[in-house]
Amino acid sequence: MKWFWCLFFAFWPIVAIVVCLLAPGNNWWFPGEAASPLGRRIDDLFYMILWITSITFVGTQLVLAYVLFKGASDTEPGTANEKAWFSHGSHKLEVIWSSVPAVILLFIAFYQLDVWAEYRVKDAFPRKRMEAVFERIHQDRQKNDSLALAEVTARQFEWRIRYPGFNADGTLKALMPDPQPTDLYAVNDLHLPASAPVMINLRTQDVQHSFFLPELRIKQDAVPGLVIPIWFEADQQRSYQLLCAELCGWGHYKMNARFVAESDEQFIEYLRQLEREQNEDRVDDAPDTDEEE
Amino acid sequence: MICLISGCGGQPEFSHSEKFQTLKPYAQIYVDQVLDNYFGSPSDMVAWDKLPLELHYGQGTVVEASGRMLTVELQAPHAEITAGTEVLWDSGILNDKDSAWILEWDEAKHQAKLESPLATNPEVGDAVILGPGQILATGRMLYAEHCQHCHGVAGDGNGPTAPYLNPRPRDYRKGIFKFTTTQSSKRASREDLSRIVEDGIPGTYMPSFKLLTEDEMTSIIEYVMWLSMRGELENQLIGLLADSYSVEAVEDRIAGGDETSDTIHQEFIDAVNDPDSFPFEVDTIVSRFTSEWVSSQEPDAEVQPLTPRTPSSDESIAKGRELYLKPSLKCAQCHGEAGLGDGSQTFAVSKDAAGQDNLTPGLYDTWGNLVKPRNLHSGIYRGGRRPIDLYSRIYAGIKGTPMPAFSSTLLRKSNPEDSGSEMTDEDIWHLVNYIYSIPFEDVKAGQGGSSIANPVKDANTASEEDSEEVAVN
Repeated sequence: MKWFWCLFFAFWPIVAIVVCLLAPGNNWWFPGEAASPLGRRIDDLFYMILWITSITFVGTQLVLAYVLFKGASDTEPGTANEKAWFSHGSHKLEVIWSSVPAVILLFIAFYQLDVWAEYRVKDAFPRKRMEAVFERIHQDRQKNDSLALAEVTARQFEWRIRYPGFNADGTLKALMPDPQPTDLYAVNDLHLPASAPVMINLRTQDVQHSFFLPELRIKQDAVPGLVIPIWFEADQQRSYQLLCAELCGWGHYKMNARFVAESDEQFIEYLRQLEREQNEDRVDDAPDTDEEE
Repeated sequence: MICLISGCGGQPEFSHSEKFQTLKPYAQIYVDQVLDNYFGSPSDMVAWDKLPLELHYGQGTVVEASGRMLTVELQAPHAEITAGTEVLWDSGILNDKDSAWILEWDEAKHQAKLESPLATNPEVGDAVILGPGQILATGRMLYAEHCQHCHGVAGDGNGPTAPYLNPRPRDYRKGIFKFTTTQSSKRASREDLSRIVEDGIPGTYMPSFKLLTEDEMTSIIEYVMWLSMRGELENQLIGLLADSYSVEAVEDRIAGGDETSDTIHQEFIDAVNDPDSFPFEVDTIVSRFTSEWVSSQEPDAEVQPLTPRTPSSDESIAKGRELYLKPSLKCAQCHGEAGLGDGSQTFAVSKDAAGQDNLTPGLYDTWGNLVKPRNLHSGIYRGGRRPIDLYSRIYAGIKGTPMPAFSSTLLRKSNPEDSGSEMTDEDIWHLVNYIYSIPFEDVKAGQGGSSIANPVKDANTASEEDSEEVAVN
């Protein structure tokens, strides 16, 4: 029986090594390649932590297996029955296995600061590049206007989206904190320019939800009462999944939507399309509308 | 075992409407037979030809057939035809023979390669149905996945999650759908239903199902209409039978004199077997709602404004406000003078369908639920925020609710010279403009105009006001 346990504990580090080696090539960890620059940096962090934990796990398991084998063979008949070393309460060991993980954790904490700041700290947002987008899509804005291009409001069980409308001169308005008469509305279909950092304001009407763009590695809780800015940058012009990542009620599974990253022109055309639909009065603009019923 | 613990297992079944239990058992059996005959059960549905629904992938006629190749002419439009689709022979020599199955489909030529060669070749012009009932079957699967837990297996608005919702999910069985852009006398059009499924109903629990494909959307809409028709037949048939064959009616008849339980039962059996009696009544019920559904899909069933939307202006909004307060239009009676949805009617005791006083004062809809007149300040437009949506709400009302159709009140003549023309089409647009302005009123009721009339100015002032806000927000 003791040999079974030796093999049992030796087996798992081997499985761990195999899984760690196979995983990246088979996309076991992530839903595809990260589709944004920030996403790739987040993946790098993930892999670094995966390396650290894998080495630690495999290392400790190997030590465990070694100790088991040694103990097992020491108790075989015919060997000089050596007494086990009783290590409990060893001050030196306690210091080592407390300080080594502490150093590793500190390293991770400092190492990820940049990525975290860029993702979450407003001052570190790529403001310049966002403003370049506003320039390209001709947004008429004041210095202190919101950087967000859309407001996404989660509710049970859908995503409601509010875009700023157009000025009479064809320029795009800035997004205001409160709804405006000219605002454009959509649901479950978020369109934004691709290949540039774009920002949304996230809110929720009811309970907690979580705005999750798996391919872009963006996940942010929507918290009642808060307006939370999130920025992201999609590499390619295509449609991405938008999901809710916080169990928000019985219809949680219904909250899947679409994020479409497109060119600046397509984005403006999409808003124009929304504007046309939103002003539908079912009367042709042709002049033959004077007929009596 | 897992199924036992989690409560699943067993076949889903169409629940009966509330009145079903009041019938004598033999009448209940008859209702079940009729429904089972024409609609089947959820796990064994019947695609009844008589219903004006697109239940098959496609219908058409044989153009050429030999061996494994079959070319057909299909009535457009048809759903996507895939490998494994059934080909049902609907007329000609192969009628009632085994179906063929498609192995490959060439959409350009409308040509199918069949899984096995035909023993007998059909003649040119024989009717074929591709994928018979397949849309209904797909619709049922999608309905079970997305809709059933609120709207119920039978579309009775009483699924497992329904008790937790306010407003309650729609009960389709009356054939009434609230948010339509059709005339007040018409039912919902397919476009109305699909817009609601696609965009959801803000302010209620109905979410948006934007990511459904076009074919999936068609399937769901057809299935919902099918459920609605089934429910309507059930309700009306029960209503018909309840007059003479409910437990209560039969007791009354026996107490009334010469009839006995047995003679009444015999009379019922005779009526069932007499083609001019119950079968005819069933036919009449079905024909009536069928023609109503069909005519509601016609272009002239749509609400069609005579004039384009009057551009919003302070003047138009003021006119709309004036109309809103006009006693003859009664807007303020329900929605309140300030549009807060707190008009006097919300405090009045009303009567229910049976003529009894409702226990809670306020307004009730056809389904017997207490409804609140919309607070027009919320900026939430359940039936859609397009001008045509608001126009339709005023012009054709909200079906099944106390919101009336103003098509006759407003007389809707665009001719101010006409003495009978109290109001004009423009008046509806003034009302629409006023309603649009209400959420943006900041001083007092009716003063919501400037922001709409001068959007450019508004954007600038608004951004100045916000300049104290945090830069990124």
